[in-house]
Amino acid sequence: MSDLASLIIQQSINGVVMGCLYVMVALGLTLIYGVMNQINFAHADFVTLGAFASYFFVQWMGGGYLLSIGVAFIAGGILGYLINLMIFAPLRDRGDELRPLIATIGASILIENGSLVVFGPIPYQYDTPYAETIRIGKIFFTEQSLFVVVVASAAIAGLYAFMKFTFTGKALRAISQDRETAGLMGINQAFLIMLTIVIASALAGMAGALLGPILVLTPFAGASVVVKAFAIVIIGGFGNMEGTIIAGLLVGLIEAFTTQYLGSGVIDLVVFGLLLVMLLVKPTGLIAEKKEENV
Amino acid sequence: MFKSLKLIVKLSPIFILGALGFTTNSFAQEKVIRIGLLYPISGPGSYFGVMGREGTDLAIEQLNKTGVKGYKFVVDYNDSQCSPLAATNVVKKTLENFKPHIVVGEECSDATLAVAPILEEAKVPLLNAGSATMKLTESGYKYAFRIFPNARQQTDSLAVNAYRKMNAKTAVLLYEKTNAGIDISDTFERTFTLLGGKVLARIDFARDVNDFTSIATRIASLGPVDVLLTSALEGQTVKLTQALAQAGITKGGGGKAVQIGTIWLPWGFDQKAGKASVGYTRIAQFDPSEQRPIVQNFVKAYKAKYGADKVPTHINAHAYDTIMIIAEAVRKGATDSESLRNEMLKMKDVEVTTGKITFGPDGQNQNMSVIHYVETQPDLSWKSLNW
Repeated sequence: MSDLASLIIQQSINGVVMGCLYVMVALGLTLIYGVMNQINFAHADFVTLGAFASYFFVQWMGGGYLLSIGVAFIAGGILGYLINLMIFAPLRDRGDELRPLIATIGASILIENGSLVVFGPIPYQYDTPYAETIRIGKIFFTEQSLFVVVVASAAIAGLYAFMKFTFTGKALRAISQDRETAGLMGINQAFLIMLTIVIASALAGMAGALLGPILVLTPFAGASVVVKAFAIVIIGGFGNMEGTIIAGLLVGLIEAFTTQYLGSGVIDLVVFGLLLVMLLVKPTGLIAEKKEENV
Repeated sequence: MFKSLKLIVKLSPIFILGALGFTTNSFAQEKVIRIGLLYPISGPGSYFGVMGREGTDLAIEQLNKTGVKGYKFVVDYNDSQCSPLAATNVVKKTLENFKPHIVVGEECSDATLAVAPILEEAKVPLLNAGSATMKLTESGYKYAFRIFPNARQQTDSLAVNAYRKMNAKTAVLLYEKTNAGIDISDTFERTFTLLGGKVLARIDFARDVNDFTSIATRIASLGPVDVLLTSALEGQTVKLTQALAQAGITKGGGGKAVQIGTIWLPWGFDQKAGKASVGYTRIAQFDPSEQRPIVQNFVKAYKAKYGADKVPTHINAHAYDTIMIIAEAVRKGATDSESLRNEMLKMKDVEVTTGKITFGPDGQNQNMSVIHYVETQPDLSWKSLNW
């Protein structure tokens, strides 16, 4: 294999690994927006807390890393339930979209500073048990990278199947398309919205567990990933799962090849430049979400 | 109206007592040196703030047991977040409310550069311990002092040693995109190329980069490289070091290249990075195993206060030293901002835990005894290189 070919394959692998992680984080955001037309600014903190839940489960309780992903998933879900109970549910029926948004910013600041008090500011070193490097010719990747791709793919496929083929998933999509009509059909909106937030937050927690060994683990760790996740959600088409998956992988690949050919210092310039172009040329995103207009 | 007057008469004793109390308090404060502290207590550099506070608290506790020439030291901690904006806001706040005689901080160059002109205008000395940027002491500030070796002092030495002692002919510069990272890379490149070395690539990155695999891949594609100058905060350096080892570039991953660096990483970095850090050669301003009595007394006092299992880092030592330098100026007769500045300018070979301090006319420490070279060993301990 030529040097150029192996370089392209190597950077593609790097890009796909990061892309999978971005998708895991972005799916939660897009799910909440798709169903509720709301943005959860505390999403980054769910990622961080998922990473910490996984870390402490492994380091303090002696649990396995694989099991810790389940722990982070549950921890994220519980946080989602609480944020729905305290913010989204009470503010939902007041007809004001701004209040929940501002409230999630407040929740984010509260969680970050609370985490700072509990966990301290010094970065935690989260060593994965899958640290071995696998080499195939000039290509290398860690076991953790492989693990990330497998788990993220399974989670994404599971969520996709849930949304497409289960009654609850279909009900969620019905709410996202037309909340009023879905309500008239007997769909329990309050329950399904709560479920959406719980699933989205659980995914964020799970993403945190996968990201833990990659992130510089501090109470502010999730923020660095969520900024990209917001860009991905917009590029993919706000509220659209397929678009988010494609955009997430695309951003991962763009980052890897930008690092190789333009320099890592311009990654944000390229990604957010693409975001601006997307907003100008195709503001609905790569795949526009179909929504029925009430007549 | 009449009711208001009656209320004022009734409350007047309280106001008078309050005013008296204030006056008494003011008299009490006359024998106090007020030190404003700018530390990043939140954000990615917040470990600087936590460690800085430990060193400061220890120094203040020791000094205030007896006082210095009748003076006690009081401090005002401010969270400057390693950020120019936050640092600017809190320095204005502390100048207004606390009225410090001297300000210590920041660790991050960008934040330090932001507050230097404000303190210059206020004629309050700034004593810096952790910023490397050349601009701090090249901008002609009369009230800026630094005990930390600047970018040129560190990188000239590092480039010469890399070229001559490590026999390095090629280098890649990896650095965070900040004033400190850029200055260190610029000065290293200048000296290294003047000596005959070649810089194969300059790779900068923002502080929010987490995964360095793509950067490691790019370095691997450049061909053989002798040294990799790395300038980033501890968290990112751990990830970068591990990625370089995974790519088989550095000694820690079975490669030939050696990571080198200036003073960025605290004691304990090697344990966090693990085997990937083997061979990492860098400047350390503070070595807790150094046998000078001042170092061993500091280590002993630190362990007594914070726990026998803890080892002080260069950040703890920096903070401790800055307070001790202020105390030394007071010991020589300083009583206010102006005299603190004058006494610091006169200092010659004042011994502190990180070495000896002699401020030049530009406020920069001229004594290079603060530079020590160490190399990470296979058991992750440090080996002093005596360069």
